[in-house]
Amino acid sequence: MQGGLERATGEKMVLNFGPQHPATHGTLRIVLELDGESVLKATPHAGYLHTGFEKLGEHLDYNQYIVVTDRMNYLSPLSNNFGYVLAVEQLLGIEVTKRCQYIRILMAELSRLADHLLWLGTAALDLGAFSVFLYSFREREKLYSIFEKTTGARLTTSYTRVGGVFRDLYDGCEEDVRQFVTNFPKALKETHTLLTKNRIWMDRTKGVGAISADDAISYGLTGPCLRATGVAHDIRKAEPYSSYDEVTFDVPVGTNGDAYDRYLVRMEEMIQSCGIVTQVLDNMPDGSVNLEDNKITMPDKSDAYGHIEGLIHHFKIVMDGHGVQPPIGEHYCATESPNGELGFYIVSDGSGTAYRIRIRPPSFLHFQALPHMLEGGMVSDTVAVLGSLNVIAGELDR
Amino acid sequence: MSEENQVEEQPKPLILQKLEANHADALLAHDETRGTVVVVVRKEQAYAVLEYLKTDPELAYTFLVDVTAVDNSQMESELMQFDYARFMVVYQLYSYQGQCRARVKVPVHESDLNIPSVTSLWQGANWLERETYDMFGINFEGHPDLRRILMPDDFEGHPLRKDYPLRGRGERERFNFDKQNV
Amino acid sequence: MGLDFVGQGAGETDGNIITTTIDKVVNWGRKNSLWPMPFGTACCAIEMMATLASKFDLSRFGSEAIRFSPRQSDLLIVSGRISIKMMPVLKRIYDQMPDPKWVISMGACASCGGVFDTYTLIQGVDQFIPVDVYIPGCPPRPEDLIDGVLQVQQKIASGASPKGVEAVYE
Repeated sequence: MQGGLERATGEKMVLNFGPQHPATHGTLRIVLELDGESVLKATPHAGYLHTGFEKLGEHLDYNQYIVVTDRMNYLSPLSNNFGYVLAVEQLLGIEVTKRCQYIRILMAELSRLADHLLWLGTAALDLGAFSVFLYSFREREKLYSIFEKTTGARLTTSYTRVGGVFRDLYDGCEEDVRQFVTNFPKALKETHTLLTKNRIWMDRTKGVGAISADDAISYGLTGPCLRATGVAHDIRKAEPYSSYDEVTFDVPVGTNGDAYDRYLVRMEEMIQSCGIVTQVLDNMPDGSVNLEDNKITMPDKSDAYGHIEGLIHHFKIVMDGHGVQPPIGEHYCATESPNGELGFYIVSDGSGTAYRIRIRPPSFLHFQALPHMLEGGMVSDTVAVLGSLNVIAGELDR
Repeated sequence: MSEENQVEEQPKPLILQKLEANHADALLAHDETRGTVVVVVRKEQAYAVLEYLKTDPELAYTFLVDVTAVDNSQMESELMQFDYARFMVVYQLYSYQGQCRARVKVPVHESDLNIPSVTSLWQGANWLERETYDMFGINFEGHPDLRRILMPDDFEGHPLRKDYPLRGRGERERFNFDKQNV
Repeated sequence: MGLDFVGQGAGETDGNIITTTIDKVVNWGRKNSLWPMPFGTACCAIEMMATLASKFDLSRFGSEAIRFSPRQSDLLIVSGRISIKMMPVLKRIYDQMPDPKWVISMGACASCGGVFDTYTLIQGVDQFIPVDVYIPGCPPRPEDLIDGVLQVQQKIASGASPKGVEAVYE
């Protein structure tokens, strides 16, 4: 036992960590009660980025809301787009074309790479490894250019539509993506050599912020944070959606549930995602990306401009109260977003606007478990644990 | 209230069989939509049913996915059911063992917004219930720390209720920096 | 910069003396050594990170000394949406910055609320703190942010007071 002066006198110090702190990457706030350098009590506060997404869902129609989902987990907007339209489609009881399903998987896995890369860069930056930040952004910029060519935007992609996607892949997309996934494992190896056996990195993450599998389930952790505790649960495997049953991949698991294991799980997930992307490209079916259903998807532009039927269909889709109208009912749809289980619970009253949209954010539950991981540790571990959880404020507060 | 006239060709899901055997008086209605079993449960027995679903070794719904609520005040068809209960508290459950989902819904009347908290069953319920309290004003009895979570402490009203306007009641313009405790 | 070379005749000082005003020298220094305080909250913060990272490299423009302490910085970059719970924090951070200070409002949400016209979101931070440069976009590209920083630099070079100072004297 180390006995500092504070410890001897039992004097507590309260440290406000955030809401503006370089390691919070946004607007998280943790109130730490310290005794010397050890954390007695940690109280996370949320809500500094509350935007009213769920309320907004009751006022926008189903296709308009896709734009809002971009801005939720802004590290991987394509995964949010995907999860949301999947929920609407399942509520409608429709299934999109095979090619569309494959394109969505492709984009979701690329955005998983982008998400994990940004997490890697910033988590390492917080612990002082600046080079990793530059290396991972170098790779992320390559993904940005693929996203931009496909969707028209680097970050706020709004790519999916109910019943399809905004547009087909661009010419040369396959070569770009193949080139990326071929070179990416080599680039990731650079990071492995920088971090994985790095003495400082190991000292600062091994055994830090550990959580047991039972506690993780009780706290509702999902995604890499749950898998790091040894629970091999992945929604892509357990409840395969959108043709995920047609690709093979491994679900990496950890053993200790600490920050180091979360790091290793995410690193391996990136390699697995590359494998999925290659399989998807190898088996990419031909055909249309949009459903041929004029009540759900927009007609072709040439059709809308050239034929009166096309124009009417176009008009009806965008008109209030004539567009996508799921039947009365409710549905909860979960997808495996890069951070964990991203669920959309939609209640429909039969109109063109959802009656209630509830977003089940993985980060909300991860952030809640933070005191469990911090208390009893050192104050400097806070940054390591917070970094390893990858809490995204936009998704946390919605 | 329960939908007894449902004709089941395929075997009843295990969860329904077991609930009907053990908690028949708690069940108000049940349904199976898109692979998920939905049960509507009386508020008084809600805790007991959730505890049963979690601890029963055959069901083992050990993962509380989500807790939220729906304000049915503008949805006539829903409001008419269950004695004009304005709110419906919704629990999403998942069983790692059976790899299946279930949804438990509990009607809550506006006159009595209390409902037992499930924080003693799942630690993760803490913030989810706080958020539901913040957004809908539903009072979770026995919650260790029922405070607002997303809105500022001095905020008035519950934003996700249907009578709360999207653009607020002027909170974002009427802004007093002195009042705020930063 | 308004520099004049003097000492045209013979001697040691030949061509080695320049005359200018103190203001101009100070502004020249300020312009090329802006220390930004990134107040990143949401999506724009990710593009801000991209601006600072390898490809776009903001340090080419003399603004790489990112300071997360408001007391050490003179350029506040508000990037992302600001909720009513966050606004007092932002105001406090702005107040803590030493004068002269400039503010960039990056992206649609910080400038006007963007697509989020909801109960909790401040519809433009300029209601509460003075903003010098607005950058449109949702989110703006890194090039846009670089342009915004250059606009602040031009403003400094021209000798104009920051909006915050004008507001005090008005």
